[in-house]
Amino acid sequence: MDSAELTGTLFDIQGFSVHDGPGCRTLIFFKGCPLSCHWCSNPEGKNPFPEPLYRQQKCTFDMLCMDACGHKAISLEKENLTIDREVCNSCKTFDCTSACCTGALQKGGYTITTGELHRLIERDRQYWGSRGGITLTGGEPFFQPEFAAAILKRCHDAYVHTAAETCGDIPVSWLQPSLPYLDWLFFDLKQMDPARHKEWTGHTNQQILANARWLASRFESRMVYRMTVVPGYNDYPEHTRQLASFLLSTGRKEINLLPLHHLGREKYALTGHSYYTEVLTTPAMDSLQGMKEILEAEGISCYLGSETPF
Amino acid sequence: MNENSVNYYGKMPDPLVGSREQKTPPTPRAAAARERYFGTRSSASMEFPYWYTRRWEELEGEIPVIRRAEALKAGFEHLTPTIYPGELLAMGKASYLRGSFPMPWLSEAFFMAAEDKFYQEALVSGKLTADTFTTMGTGGGNVTQSIGKVISIAGKFGLRVEEMPVMIEVAKRWKDKSVDDVGHRYEQKVPGYKEKEAIMRSVICMFDSGYTLPQGREVVNYYYPLQYGIEGIKAICGDAIAEVAGKPGMDRLYFYQAVKIMLEGVQAWIRSYAKEASLLAGLEKDAQQKQEYEAMSERLHWISSHPPRNFHDALQILWTFHIAVLNEDAISGLSPGRVGQVLLPWWQRDMKSGLLDRDKSIELLECMRMKFTEIDCFASMGVVGGVLSGNTFNNLCLGGLTKEGTSATNELEMLILEAGIRCDTPQPTLSILYDEKLPEEFLLKGVECTKIGTGYPAWVSNQVAMEFLLKNYGHEGMTLEEARAWSIGGCLETSPGSWMPLEFDGEIHWIPGGSAPATSVGVHFISLPKILEVALFDGMDMRTGERIFPPHGLELNSYEELWKVFRDYFSRAVHVLTLTNNIQHDAWRKIAPSLVNSMLKPDCLAVGKDIGQMGSRYNTTFNVETTGTANLVNSLASLKLNIYDEKNFSLEDYRKAILANFGYHTAKETGSFSLIDQTPNQDYDTWKKIHKLSNEAPKYGNDNTYVDGILREWETWFCDMTHDYLSIYDQPLYACQISVSTHGPMGAVTLASADGRLCGTTFSDASMSAYPGTDRNGPYALFNSATCWDHSESQNSQLNIKIHPSAVKGREGSRKFLELIRAYLRKGGFHVQFNVVDSRMLKEAQKEPGKYRGLMVRVAGFTQYWVELGKQIQDEVISRTEYEEI
Repeated sequence: MDSAELTGTLFDIQGFSVHDGPGCRTLIFFKGCPLSCHWCSNPEGKNPFPEPLYRQQKCTFDMLCMDACGHKAISLEKENLTIDREVCNSCKTFDCTSACCTGALQKGGYTITTGELHRLIERDRQYWGSRGGITLTGGEPFFQPEFAAAILKRCHDAYVHTAAETCGDIPVSWLQPSLPYLDWLFFDLKQMDPARHKEWTGHTNQQILANARWLASRFESRMVYRMTVVPGYNDYPEHTRQLASFLLSTGRKEINLLPLHHLGREKYALTGHSYYTEVLTTPAMDSLQGMKEILEAEGISCYLGSETPF
Repeated sequence: MNENSVNYYGKMPDPLVGSREQKTPPTPRAAAARERYFGTRSSASMEFPYWYTRRWEELEGEIPVIRRAEALKAGFEHLTPTIYPGELLAMGKASYLRGSFPMPWLSEAFFMAAEDKFYQEALVSGKLTADTFTTMGTGGGNVTQSIGKVISIAGKFGLRVEEMPVMIEVAKRWKDKSVDDVGHRYEQKVPGYKEKEAIMRSVICMFDSGYTLPQGREVVNYYYPLQYGIEGIKAICGDAIAEVAGKPGMDRLYFYQAVKIMLEGVQAWIRSYAKEASLLAGLEKDAQQKQEYEAMSERLHWISSHPPRNFHDALQILWTFHIAVLNEDAISGLSPGRVGQVLLPWWQRDMKSGLLDRDKSIELLECMRMKFTEIDCFASMGVVGGVLSGNTFNNLCLGGLTKEGTSATNELEMLILEAGIRCDTPQPTLSILYDEKLPEEFLLKGVECTKIGTGYPAWVSNQVAMEFLLKNYGHEGMTLEEARAWSIGGCLETSPGSWMPLEFDGEIHWIPGGSAPATSVGVHFISLPKILEVALFDGMDMRTGERIFPPHGLELNSYEELWKVFRDYFSRAVHVLTLTNNIQHDAWRKIAPSLVNSMLKPDCLAVGKDIGQMGSRYNTTFNVETTGTANLVNSLASLKLNIYDEKNFSLEDYRKAILANFGYHTAKETGSFSLIDQTPNQDYDTWKKIHKLSNEAPKYGNDNTYVDGILREWETWFCDMTHDYLSIYDQPLYACQISVSTHGPMGAVTLASADGRLCGTTFSDASMSAYPGTDRNGPYALFNSATCWDHSESQNSQLNIKIHPSAVKGREGSRKFLELIRAYLRKGGFHVQFNVVDSRMLKEAQKEPGKYRGLMVRVAGFTQYWVELGKQIQDEVISRTEYEEI
């Protein structure tokens, strides 16, 4: 390993991704996120550390994992494995997942060097086609600011098209080092009202909106807003109008509305989280259309779901 | 295993199941034909074999090729014509809609009832073991059980009870005289013959090739009938007879005479259809239908003698000769080839004159699709279910290059794609011969077709195929120009072609067509995981307790030693199977020489020799086929890592674990052949550690250099070693790597393997597909693994990927889909094919076959209605990794 190389923590790298930037792309999922959005589809991206993923259906309760764990973090209570995940955050060995024979316990997340990641990007690059590139996502990619900037620079130097998707809830200084090497930015918005924002994501939107304004005026490439449409939370006309006026105030007039989905449901149990979104419905197409109409009336370009012009 | 892998997009919940893209329905005419097809079951009849056999017996003592021609003629003459309302193209293989007939001159034992003494004899020699491990799909048109007065034969075909005595009697007449029986007599002269029988009984090899499907996996050449008409060809024969009679090389005389006789039979066959159409016209009240019958009668009369006057005539001739070939032999994989390029001159002229327009053209092409879909192949259950999955592989190719090296696609091919989208029936399946020179519009039309969920077109690399052909046919004089005339013959076999000079309106059009006999003959489907299993157990088949190969007696103390033993056993199998199959093929060319196909194939008519006498321009078509590449490679990687490199446990432990099926119930006990449905038994705790390490060993398809290196080593050695064996035509063999459906039945007889695969479960399909659930790094990593060796060293390689509709949705999705396909082919991949479906749809289809009668999936390089697939294959398709993205 090159001594100058940095190490980051990821939870997946996925080729042939077609909805997160121009062309066919390789998505790089960074582990760790400051927000706790109830509808998050990647709950394993929240914790910044590698963590055990536990699939109860596969477990035979032979307790090989319990015996293997040097930190005594695993216990058996009423036919259910209990994991002290706080302890796991500092674990380096994951002897538990090595001991498990059924695949019930697996390690989620891993560390990787910029060199190795770049090698994988260069491999995938052969298959992107005429457009395409990488998109840093997660989790929150700029939660690991040095690593994100290092890999973006490396790719930029190699003429790779670079994109990132951010939740925006990070100090601006964490974003800044990456900006010169970034060709495209998705900036996520959730809710215009600070109190409601905090209620469903854990934080207010103060820093997010400030960062959006700051980036909108300084970032030199294309910046597209993204918002997951959560019925009853951010899909009503009044909110859409607030959203529109915010966008106009930043001067960036493109937004991609993504319908809420339940694809991540099964992953909540793996990470020991409970799934809040059960009560939520997926948005109806006409509700999305209605939002699109309001936004477009304000002169904003609005793309629905995967129907994007890129 | 599949369950264990964390899919970061989760599982698709029901409300979000993506629907396949909307499509235009077929024309009412084709829709009616499709309904008729759905309501029809595979039906056998005895007309042709009865008259064939009767004439054959009458002519005892006649020159064999003449005797054969007369027998074929008698068969053709006596086929009862059946025409259905609304048909634009007439004629079928036999009188029933999905009609076919046994060919007892090839093999008479396999369609006898199970209790029959012939069948019992065949069982003892191991020839029918594969049949007993193959299941046919229960839905669709298969007659798996006798119904009323219809008797189920060979597990698929219905035969009317009154024809049963005829079948038994005709079959008995061929006892000791059929290609199978004669070949069997002489193959016993091959030293080591007993080993061959043991190989067949253990299902290390799936089938003999000489009498099962002796022709096919090749491309028809329609040049002569299109250029000269039947009378014209007879005149060519007449002139040639006058020239060669009494001169040295007298076999030519009999050949030309035989072709003439055979053509008279074909003429009589066409004319009886013409008469039938005329009769129907007389009875018909509906004015339009009456006019159509009259036109059909007139057309058939015309083409029974003359070359075509227009596109419709030309299409009828193409179809008639296609099934004429199919009626002379048991054939699967007879490809029409580059139809859109062959028929272009007539189509262009008709479009210009106004005789045809776009809609009429599509209607005709849809009718052609229905005709090809109605083709049934009569063979044993093991062949039809286990190899073909009921598919007949009439592969129509599009794209590629012209004789001059420019893009060969044209407007008619766009319409063929459109007809394939609208009338999504299994045949003819489509392949695009991808070349960088092909226009984007055409390629995107191909993507549109793939996205409908038809499973076709297959995408194959024109450049890789041409390189393969030049390497393997160069010594027979193949030039770069000639290499461009190739097509896929059968499901995925690179097949040589030639450019023929079609004179049309005073100009020469160079049209491509096949110019070599059957490929995929030689050594059929060697089970690589089974050979490795036998190597681990010192030459024994532990399933049956039978010794297959002589003991190697080695301790297998190093990976190199294991690898060597594997190669030795594999070579032994190839050696004895090559020799025995050569004998069968020799019996075939002597007893049932090809006449229809020989007449069509350049240069048989020019040199006066049939294809069995190397009359074709190219003759290096014998190959060695393999099954289970990914399981072999993964198993070797696991053994290398766990036994030799890391020494996690001993080989002896491994043997015990394999015999104990890693502590799982067998696939037979669970009733599913898919790995994800297997359940542990009471011994699970004993073996779970070994099973875990086996599962965790590096797996092919993840861009892992440890296991990909083993793949490269295997491919390099295998592709090269095949050249050491010679066909009956004294030509070297080459490698062929498609599994068709053999990975199901061959998996069923194989114990657990060192890669963690459990006993009796299905192998990975194809040769470049990853084992289901083990490719965890997405398609790009899989592509990198697949292209770690040079695909042009083999006749083919095959990669099937199931893809969810959401990943390729919309116009932008089409463009990205094309990027994906192109990326793999540019990197040197030979073939890639996609199922645009979702698992739920497939699971449901398995539960309620009736509701999904029209659902088509792609399995191992071909298209078939879901409900007609065997259960093993259905299970395997369901568990295959999907690239789900929303």
